[in-house]
Amino acid sequence: MSLSERARGCLVGLAVGDAMGAPAENMTAEAIMERWGPVTGFLTDARSGTDDTEYAAFSALLLLRHGSALTSDHVADAWIEHLAGRAGGFPGAGFSELGTVENLRAGLRPPASGEHLHSWSDGLAMRAAVHGVFAAGDPAEAARLAAVDGAVSHAGEGVYAGQAVAAAVAAAMSGAGVERAVEAGLAVVPDSSWTASALRTAVATGGEVSSLLDALVAHRYPWTDLGPEAAGLAFGAFVAEKGSFSAVPRAVSMGRDADTTAAIAGALAGAHCGFTAIPPEWADIGPVTGRCLGEVVAGLHLADLAAQLVERAS
Amino acid sequence: MTDDHRSVLQSEGHGARSAGRNGRDGALLGLAIGDAAGWPARQHRSQLLPSWTRRLRRELDTFAETQSVTSLPVAFALNQDPGPLRFGPSDDAEWAAWTLTWLRAAGPGPTRDDVHAAWIDAVAAGRLPRGRISVATAADALRRGARPPRTGYENPHHFDDAAAVRAVAIGAWFPSPDEAAEVAQWDAEVTNAGDGVLAARAVARTIARTIATPTDLPRDALLAELPEATLIGRNVRRALTAVDGAGSPAEAVPLLDEMVDRVYSYGTAAAQTVAVAAALAEVSIRCGGPPIEAVTAAACLPSLADSAPGLAGALVGAVRGAGAFPESWTGRCRVLAGCCAPELAGADVMELMKGHVGEH
Repeated sequence: MSLSERARGCLVGLAVGDAMGAPAENMTAEAIMERWGPVTGFLTDARSGTDDTEYAAFSALLLLRHGSALTSDHVADAWIEHLAGRAGGFPGAGFSELGTVENLRAGLRPPASGEHLHSWSDGLAMRAAVHGVFAAGDPAEAARLAAVDGAVSHAGEGVYAGQAVAAAVAAAMSGAGVERAVEAGLAVVPDSSWTASALRTAVATGGEVSSLLDALVAHRYPWTDLGPEAAGLAFGAFVAEKGSFSAVPRAVSMGRDADTTAAIAGALAGAHCGFTAIPPEWADIGPVTGRCLGEVVAGLHLADLAAQLVERAS
Repeated sequence: MTDDHRSVLQSEGHGARSAGRNGRDGALLGLAIGDAAGWPARQHRSQLLPSWTRRLRRELDTFAETQSVTSLPVAFALNQDPGPLRFGPSDDAEWAAWTLTWLRAAGPGPTRDDVHAAWIDAVAAGRLPRGRISVATAADALRRGARPPRTGYENPHHFDDAAAVRAVAIGAWFPSPDEAAEVAQWDAEVTNAGDGVLAARAVARTIARTIATPTDLPRDALLAELPEATLIGRNVRRALTAVDGAGSPAEAVPLLDEMVDRVYSYGTAAAQTVAVAAALAEVSIRCGGPPIEAVTAAACLPSLADSAPGLAGALVGAVRGAGAFPESWTGRCRVLAGCCAPELAGADVMELMKGHVGEH
């Protein structure tokens, strides 16, 4: 399978997961089952991506511009140029994005800009598949680039969760298979990290939904945006469905940060089994709307960005 | 500046011997007073009323929104005994008191295992007080068999100030700043990690050190425990700089608004509450005004009003002593309501300090 086939599978898979998961975001698995029954595809007619797709596109543009010479300062400058000056809020974004923007507006630079109260969010994990696409076959390099990008907006576990996604995608991009892709994700994060423990849980439960949720969800915390949790749920779905695109509806069925977990699951599945494996009724996903980030990403197609990343890396 | 500060203390007749006892009580009392001062105290204390009173209050919140009225609801009693809603301490004073009870039971020289066992036993017996998200998450994890420090590390609110509040009690209990910091770390790692643990070490060391040497400014001990390359280390330094020119704690309040996070839904991050408390304590000590002014100033930052006033009161109380707080506050704030730890209802925080390690 060609790199371009896997790259398009990965980033279109991300957009599909994002769009499919959006209606289920912040719902419980029980509520999703009650409302829609078993998830097998899109839940509504809405098929546009949200923040996950837009931030991934934004990070892809940075890689296209700077390649492996990307620095955290490049990323910070781009956030300042395109995001920090935006008026009227950041639709779809989480606490980590606005926390970062506030830090950048206050003059902080990375890594300090990524040190806020949601430095462990899944906001890097949702955009880190692009680093895996760019550094296909080199999980360590993918993890390095994810950390360079992530230092602007995240720290600690937020960076680890992103690195795990980037490395697993990079491994899957070279045909490593499900098991070795997960191992590649684990290999780039500290053994003692929360992210590693969540990934080990994903493997140990085989992605079985109720035991995975039971093990990973902190019920006394009201939000659904923890990086380790999102990575664990997404990898669990990927493992349970043996790398197929069924991982996407499985992730959606878990609820929580469903657009992000399904986006990560879709990226992993796409890197593993390629663009043509995406069920045709899902693959017709529109261009980036720009609802979250505006003109800088509006109109971009993830499939085009994927092909350009492969070209840029060669 | 230091000379002025010394003269303030001397004018109040702090002998080295009496300062220790007075400072220990001052730290605890300052925490309880500050705990009572913020608006969240009444809400915490409403836990002692039937749950339907709180449900109706939440409905009145919605009412204000839907009917577009600016009358905001407060905790109320309707046809119940309104006693719990009197001015007084709430969650943080009870957590400090709970900490004192296990410290006393553990005796001198508790080990890391002793400290963790206090938590594990309390959770097993269902006697752990109600606490913040970090505490509740850790309690759930302990119940499922996880052990510290994982319970504090795999914790969404690992950065909050729950352990920093408990560290006031630990700092007051141990005469040695090193031992206080170490025990505070063992206690903190049950519920917190990162900034949350750093904050607890810093508060415990600072309280213990200023009790022993009231002429030491809290800032030095705090900064020694808070690396610059952390959010809390950066924020505490920023806050201290921001209030450089402030002539009183009240004057410092708007200067500290920049420290207040406006993005997140909770205001208990140690990186903010400890920073604001440290800055207000610094101004209060520098200016030599009544220590209660550090507390009332902290209560003016609404999002941090749950714990910043208490932490400010503890820091300034350790330096100035229990006697420096107005009696009108002392009498009301030393007795606990039991809104988080029912077993502590009616307990006097000053009594709980008796028999501390320093007296052995």
